[in-house]
Amino acid sequence: MSAKTQTYLWLIQRLSAAVLALCVLVHLATLIYAVRGGLSAAEILGRTRGNVAWFAFYSIFVFAVTLHVPIGLRAVLSEWLGWRGAGRDLALLGFGVLLAWGGMRAVMAVFL
Amino acid sequence: MHRLSGIALALFLPVHFWALGQALQGEATLESFLRWSEQPLVKASEWAIVLLLAAHLTGGVRILMIEFLPWRDWQKTLAALAAAAALAIGLLFVLSSTAHAQGWPQKPVKFIVPFPPGGATDISARLLGQKLTEIWGQTVLIENRGGAGGSVGAAEAAKAAPDGYTLFFPSGSVVTANQYIYANLNYDPEKDFVPVTNVVSGPQVLTVPANSPYKSVKDLIESGRANPGKLYFGHAGIGSQTHLAAENFVFQAKLDATAVPYKGEGPGLAALVGGETHFFVGNVAASIGHIKGGRLRALGVTSKAEIPQLPGVPPIASVVPGFENTGWFGIVAPRGTPKDVIQKVYLDTRKALQDAVMKEKFFAQGLAPVGNSPEEMGRAMKEESELWKNVVKARNIHVK
Repeated sequence: MSAKTQTYLWLIQRLSAAVLALCVLVHLATLIYAVRGGLSAAEILGRTRGNVAWFAFYSIFVFAVTLHVPIGLRAVLSEWLGWRGAGRDLALLGFGVLLAWGGMRAVMAVFL
Repeated sequence: MHRLSGIALALFLPVHFWALGQALQGEATLESFLRWSEQPLVKASEWAIVLLLAAHLTGGVRILMIEFLPWRDWQKTLAALAAAAALAIGLLFVLSSTAHAQGWPQKPVKFIVPFPPGGATDISARLLGQKLTEIWGQTVLIENRGGAGGSVGAAEAAKAAPDGYTLFFPSGSVVTANQYIYANLNYDPEKDFVPVTNVVSGPQVLTVPANSPYKSVKDLIESGRANPGKLYFGHAGIGSQTHLAAENFVFQAKLDATAVPYKGEGPGLAALVGGETHFFVGNVAASIGHIKGGRLRALGVTSKAEIPQLPGVPPIASVVPGFENTGWFGIVAPRGTPKDVIQKVYLDTRKALQDAVMKEKFFAQGLAPVGNSPEEMGRAMKEESELWKNVVKARNIHVK
């Protein structure tokens, strides 16, 4: 893999980390508001369903996870297990797809 | 540490996404989500996420600062630890909030029933109370506080501490009609209570004493029309479900009959057996024992069709076209009761109602399990409240 690609991956990893940190904070603040505000699970779902803003937010959350996790695992697999090459990248791509599918499935269930 | 926690989170995430998506799929999405979130494994995994996220964030923030900020090492470590601590505290705060219902109930739970023993409200509360006692491992006590169409018990329940240990088990009209009937009500159904779940519902049955000359609904109607004001009907108290059901019948059958209030359905039916009144539109649960014991004769049911518990008893609608009346009994809680306790009572009641033996017991009483959510119950109560507002106004049923 070229140095340029490595740099991009490094950058994407850091950017997605910053997005995730922000998403976790928003998610946490929302949970505190919902639970402390006395909203039941039913009422929470009542507010999230059909709300495009929440759908967009959690889609970004899932997208950032989908980028951040495989790139992080890539470094771990290379440095700890010595697994390099196309096989590793294909496996990580598959894992990323799995995360995206599972995450969006959950987001759609909360939205629809 | 950063990598280890990252690996653990990476392994956990697909499982978490899959489980959440799975729980929310299909028809009963809300119920399955609530059941899922109550699982001990899910609760335990929430704690695992807190620790993993805190650990991962510590390392992550530190890495970002090393690479992008010109701070000293000890400052970076301190800032990272502060960020992680803030995250952990926040998440623990959320988890401790949702953990409230896990320890509930720690002592006996009281159902205030606003009618004396023997009526349908009392029977329903006792049947459910027995099953919830098994589920909770804590006794469910039934306290009968009859009087003023359920208003006495309602006022007491409204003043109870909102800790979930005192719940109110009324018949529908106590929380949907009394506010339009009583000028000086000591409680406000909308402001003082929050819905938990509608437990059971069922039709009523029009009965007369076994030795009554009226053999059919038609006989009763003809007699009432021929002798205005000379037919007396009992009920469980002004504004009670039995009162409104009878008023509805009288109104739609175009009779002129006189209402006689009793302190509850049990006493009202006993008075009918003793011949004090001519007819009673009671709940099947309270009336069926008298009917099967030969003390009362059933003339008609308030459902659109015959019911299996009373074979051969025709619907009143066969004589009064379009007539239908349904009674219900449910749980409401004093406003301020913790939401998670309300959810627990609702879910456990739902579980109790799914029990085959319970279903059979309620069926024998002419009642069908409902177990709807607090939100659904709230909507249904609002709709019914509007209906009774109109009926009460049309029939001029008022107590000053």
